[in-house]
Amino acid sequence: MAVSSSTSELVRLDETLWEIPAATRSDMRVPARVFADEELLMAITGDRSLEQLQNVATLPGIVEAALAMPDIHQGYGFPVGGVAAMELPDGVVSPGGVGYDINCGVRLLALPLSASELGGRREPLVHELSRAVPAGAGRGGPLGLSAADLAEVLREGPRVLVARGIGREEDVDRTESQGRLPGARPAAVSDRAHERGVGQLGTAGSGNHFIELQRVDHVFARDAAEAFGLAEGQLTVLIHSGSRGLGHQVCTDHVRVMDEVGSRYGIVLPDRQLACAPASSSEGRAYLGAMAAAANFAFANRHAIADAVRRSIERVLGAAAADGTRQIYDVAHNVAKVERYGGRDLLVHRKGATRAFPPGSPEIPAAYREVGQPVFIPGSMGTASFVLAGATGAIERSFGTTCHGAGRALSRTAARRRIGGAELRRGLEAQGIVVRCASNRALAEEAPFAYKDVERVVEVVERAGLARRVARLVPLGVVKG
Amino acid sequence: MNRHRFVEHGGEVEVELEATTEAGLFEAAIEVFAELVSVDTEGPGVRHEIELSCVDRALLLADWLNELVYLAEVDQFVPERLVAFELARDRLRATVVGRREHPSHLVKAVTLNSLEYGEREGMWHGRVVLDV
Repeated sequence: MAVSSSTSELVRLDETLWEIPAATRSDMRVPARVFADEELLMAITGDRSLEQLQNVATLPGIVEAALAMPDIHQGYGFPVGGVAAMELPDGVVSPGGVGYDINCGVRLLALPLSASELGGRREPLVHELSRAVPAGAGRGGPLGLSAADLAEVLREGPRVLVARGIGREEDVDRTESQGRLPGARPAAVSDRAHERGVGQLGTAGSGNHFIELQRVDHVFARDAAEAFGLAEGQLTVLIHSGSRGLGHQVCTDHVRVMDEVGSRYGIVLPDRQLACAPASSSEGRAYLGAMAAAANFAFANRHAIADAVRRSIERVLGAAAADGTRQIYDVAHNVAKVERYGGRDLLVHRKGATRAFPPGSPEIPAAYREVGQPVFIPGSMGTASFVLAGATGAIERSFGTTCHGAGRALSRTAARRRIGGAELRRGLEAQGIVVRCASNRALAEEAPFAYKDVERVVEVVERAGLARRVARLVPLGVVKG
Repeated sequence: MNRHRFVEHGGEVEVELEATTEAGLFEAAIEVFAELVSVDTEGPGVRHEIELSCVDRALLLADWLNELVYLAEVDQFVPERLVAFELARDRLRATVVGRREHPSHLVKAVTLNSLEYGEREGMWHGRVVLDV
């Protein structure tokens, strides 16, 4: 079956997988494949994301296929929801294939309380969260970090903070890569990136970043929910943030370097933002060292935010509630990591996509090893989010990857045309969701209808065998930068 | 005369800039940036000297906006207007005045995706995609 799209010819490979053959364009080295059903495909073909996916398929060293998850939407260079695995040592690394917000990701905390036990303290708790976690901050930031402290965080990640009494060792153990990507090179991070980052550890940022108070609405897989420590009615807090200005500057700096040197390596690109260099080159190694440092900063940032969340819980709900608040896991959305598939080492770029390793993987905490890696899929404001568990199909079909969210369906300007921030705020509050957001514009841009249906997205990844649904979480309150 | 227009983009913010002079194009970029990040209406006045070098004018425009992103983050600076501007073949020097307030951290970076800069029919045009 072939479906016409504005950009290409899509061939259906199976129930949830579609392909644009490599022969479609003379510069494509591998096919472009997207996981979707018919309805999601309609939304996906409404922007330029499949053209961008085909551009990714031209990159030197890419193996098997340029892949897209069902939440794919138009980005810059790589589409958001894109996955590309490059053969090492000489396949390329592309900073744009990781994105500006290096290791943007999500962390889920579970409280030892149910929503009914929270009672009338919902609004005070959301308000306290908004006070405790700034969107941005000035010099020194909420942690009063020195330049020397920052360099240590870049090398070691959140363990540095645990040694200073911020967060817990068990939080670090329940973080992807235990919160530390190897090979971090703080010296490859520019002075300007250091300057932007030093005041931002423990800040959420703006755009689609948020802190959401939630209730476990439904459990789909009791075994995995029990392993993760989740039960219906329980309160959770989902934290979405990344490497802030430090990571943005790392990407900016290294895209510029690769834009200059690409021609030296004979690289011809259909889009300047795909700027890249062989991973084994001096430029490639410098970027990977800086990216790892920024990723470690992002893990530490979410760790510090989680600590601030616990302190808010203590102030509103008491010390026992704070002590009993456990971190389920923390996953990265924007990174490039060396992983082994089919007996070879590959550099897997995930741009708006989540690692989803299956049961048995030594890379996931022992407590979760029988059920698979936890994955968190935020919906849009006012809609459900999902907890998934990685499945074996992810290794076989998507380089151990699943989706990362609902994925935009409308541009920000179109969202603002459809609704004002004040009206949206009233609507969410009418649903019983407490909203704290300084900017009506930012609120309107993240309106629920601006995103694809998250329920459909997670159904597709489950049917594709990439991950299985564990629990659905519904929002009680949201704090946005 | 400077103008800017937001273009439909599936995920980020894409802007077309237009001006009768090259300086106007850089001033239009200031206007767009201020529109995106300004939250308050008050704050002490601040002046920044900016100096950039690059032979590629499109990259220079991206660098200009990246400089504004940087100043917004480290100095809480929201630009208002150019008071001095000097553009040579490979170099830009400018003085920008504005306010120190509490800008939104909306704009993360300026991408090279769809980046354009040039003159046609007597007008200067630019296009940038901002990661937000």
